[in-house]
Amino acid sequence: MIASMNAELKPFEDLAAQFAAKELSSKREEHDAYPFGPFFGDVLDKAYEIGLLGITLPEELGGIGRGIGALSVILESICRVDASLGGIIFATTVAQQIILESGSTKVLASVTKNAGNAGDFLIAFPAFNNPSEIPHLIYARKEKSKYILFGELEYVVLGGIAGHCLIPAQVRGERGYSFFLVDLSDKNITRSEPVLSLGLHACPAVDTKFNDVEGILVGKEGDGNLSFEKTADRMHVAAAAMSAGIMKGSFDEALAYSRERFQGGREIVNWSEVRMILSNMAVTINVSEMALRQACRAAEENEAGWEQNALASAIYIQGAACDLTTDGIQLLGGYGYMKDYGQEKRFRDAKHVQALLGMVPMKRLKYIERVIDGVDR
Amino acid sequence: MVSGSEIEMFLEREPKFDDIMCSLQATSKQPKGIIKETKKVVALARKFNDEVVRPYSLELDKTVQEDPEFLAWDFVKKANEWGFYTLWIPKIFGGKGYCMSSMSFFVEEIASACLGMANLIGVHYLGVATLSATWNARLINKLSRETVEGERKGNPCLISLAITEPGAGTDVEEVDLVDKGDVTCYAEKVDGGYVVNGRKVFISNGHLSTWHILIAYSDLKNPSENTVVLAVKNGTKGFSFGRKERKMGQKGCPASELIFEDCFIPEENVCIDPDQYGTLSRSAKETAMQVIDYVVSGTRAGVGAFGTGVARGAFEEALKFALETEVKGKLLINHEWAQTMLAEMYKNVAVSRLAYAETNYANGMYGFYKTLQWKPTYYYTRCLPRFIADKVISPWLDKPRATSLMRKMSLDGQTDSEIHRTSGWASLAKFVGTDAGVKNCQMALEIMGQAGLRHDRRAEKCLRDSKLLQIYEGTNQLNRLNLFKCLIGRSYPQVAVFQE
Ligand SMILES: Cc1cc2nc3c(=O)[nH]c(=O)nc-3n(C[C@H](O)[C@H](O)[C@H](O)COP(=O)(O)OP(=O)(O)OC[C@H]3O[C@@H](n4cnc5c(N)ncnc54)[C@H](O)[C@@H]3O)c2cc1C
Repeated sequence: MIASMNAELKPFEDLAAQFAAKELSSKREEHDAYPFGPFFGDVLDKAYEIGLLGITLPEELGGIGRGIGALSVILESICRVDASLGGIIFATTVAQQIILESGSTKVLASVTKNAGNAGDFLIAFPAFNNPSEIPHLIYARKEKSKYILFGELEYVVLGGIAGHCLIPAQVRGERGYSFFLVDLSDKNITRSEPVLSLGLHACPAVDTKFNDVEGILVGKEGDGNLSFEKTADRMHVAAAAMSAGIMKGSFDEALAYSRERFQGGREIVNWSEVRMILSNMAVTINVSEMALRQACRAAEENEAGWEQNALASAIYIQGAACDLTTDGIQLLGGYGYMKDYGQEKRFRDAKHVQALLGMVPMKRLKYIERVIDGVDR
Repeated sequence: MVSGSEIEMFLEREPKFDDIMCSLQATSKQPKGIIKETKKVVALARKFNDEVVRPYSLELDKTVQEDPEFLAWDFVKKANEWGFYTLWIPKIFGGKGYCMSSMSFFVEEIASACLGMANLIGVHYLGVATLSATWNARLINKLSRETVEGERKGNPCLISLAITEPGAGTDVEEVDLVDKGDVTCYAEKVDGGYVVNGRKVFISNGHLSTWHILIAYSDLKNPSENTVVLAVKNGTKGFSFGRKERKMGQKGCPASELIFEDCFIPEENVCIDPDQYGTLSRSAKETAMQVIDYVVSGTRAGVGAFGTGVARGAFEEALKFALETEVKGKLLINHEWAQTMLAEMYKNVAVSRLAYAETNYANGMYGFYKTLQWKPTYYYTRCLPRFIADKVISPWLDKPRATSLMRKMSLDGQTDSEIHRTSGWASLAKFVGTDAGVKNCQMALEIMGQAGLRHDRRAEKCLRDSKLLQIYEGTNQLNRLNLFKCLIGRSYPQVAVFQE
């Protein structure tokens, strides 16, 4: 548990664990059926009420004003049960943090302080891309003091349920990109049906088309990448925590099942090959926990090189979660492949979460680029 | 240099030459026509992919996500129209008689476009293979000809295999485990046949099949010596379908529960049972294992081909994405790291294909289709006029003599080392291909980033579909243990498998 590094985090861990047990656990399959079943709006409203949608948001902006440690323990506990809510918390937190990093506190306050419900409070964000890596399909043009956005943007997470959206767009003629906040109720925005996706079904995304939509510039023109990278550095820890939670859920279920399932006249946990797989899972989780604790502490205390700790943990833990959840299914045999158990969902969610904040190989290259350029160790 | 007896001695050393180079030994013995037939079915599969599979596979997957009760009859009817359910049924049984080894190349093609649909076609041959492994000429003839008739009339007649039980999956794949397992599907011997009670689960194509090759036991305390293989037809009193599983992937292909309640199966539908084992040279337990090994030697190579196919599908999606997507201002395909990842994926496909192809060679030389690929039989069956097959050979197949002859040749005629070689290689092909399948899908998603997560880009479906391959036809752990047993452990008297 990350909370073991800091007693102050324990209450957050408990709160999230209780919430997950009460609101998520028994309805995992039902929530996962979205978009072919109802959306778990009631659960989201409850999460909003207890502050889970604004964990790192300052209190004066309507959040609970905690650091990356609290965010990570909460995400870990929630994702241990169901990563979709974790995805929602993650995406909206990234958007909030980018706006804060850009110094546009007032813009953020206009959304979060006036929110009456979860939907109003949420800010949609294309959380599975690093905008500097892909070609920009949204452009902004300046008309007097206003910015008008046009173009298309795929896979905007929460785009179908949030009141606002944070959009990376390129101002015509400028290098780099900037962030803009848009009101999703604008009639000139077209939103697709929820995009059918691998995992995180209840953390839906939509494709969007902007046809001359007014956007509020966040920070300075062309500074988008700066705010994104600063935010991403910290949020890598949170993403790693999500994967750690998924791993623990997978291990819990695999161990419990192995103790109960009989094959060859004994509980399968008593075949040494099964033990070997369980051991690999347990060791991976242990190492991941150590990495995560260190990354959290380093980030909270602004230790030299914390950014690299954060990125390395994310790369390692997210990759490990993909392998571990594969074994998590395997130990349940055919049953692991079925929706009756949580293992198949964890397998999908782990791979989905691995793509947060951009492509895996690009994250690896960024890590070594910083080492080579001597920016960090 | 080296004498004849030395050659023999050295080649008998581990790894035995006969075990490691089936392909080298097969090339001169294999009929040339196999190459032409294989090319033809690969082209046929590609055409089918273009016309049927690709345009429908995402839609089918989505439909079943929305409505888990949906059954892909439309697809099965199409595959039936294209003649796929009789393509590999030997001509003497009324089928088109394509060489068996070509099937894995065919399913690789279909699986590269949609694994669920490859299963909808391929799993029928799991049923056919199990029936065939009992070498009951009359029943093989009867069910095969019904499938042929179903094709002619446009009413698909598929055959499923039902061996897995709620409490026994791995256990029923191995006679050394089954006696310790919790099997409950009981076939009680009665006058004129058997009465079956019990349940089978996860049966691929169950709800879509007309016939089910059922593995039951006439003594639940000692199942390994009392394995009964029965052919059960839809509509038989006491037999019904239960639930359809809600799976992560391969959604088009249902995994069904089959329920047997005082279900009477007449003598004429008994494929093999303990009474018949008595006529063979091996013990009942050894014969039961040999029958299982015959089945899995063929079908695990097929699952290896499924894995190869999905590994290729994932590779093709990633390649397409890399060719058209810019990352950091330059086409992804021109990033060196992406080129090496794609090369790695290509290698995974190629190595998996070699593994199943080598298994095919083993099966052609020492296993399932040894007789059919023996040059005289091969060419004779190619020249055989259809009316002779139907009017002369078919009635003869219904005689007990035909079954005895087939069993003498195929069961008694197969040596232990041939069983080990084919079964060991099949396990190897299975876990090499299926591990590569999952790996390539994971790599494709890493290359594709956000796009890889979307259903409409196919790669995520490949990943969901691929995971099943590591589980069915024996989990990959069971297959590793089987390889150990067949190709490593057999040489050492102190080795005990499944007994720790
Ligand atoms: C979608 C689907 C389709 C299928 N289609 C068919 C079909 O058409 N016909 C059919 O008959 N069956 C079918 N199966 C069943 C399949 O073959 C079994 O699921 C498989 O053999 C594993 O059995 P199990 O699920 O009971 O897992 P278990 O046997 O319970 O295994 C659970 C875990 O324990 C491990 N384990 C078990 N015993 C040992 C041991 N002795 N040593 C080490 N590890 C061990 C396994 O490797 C696995 O990791 C299908 C399954 C699925 C999921």
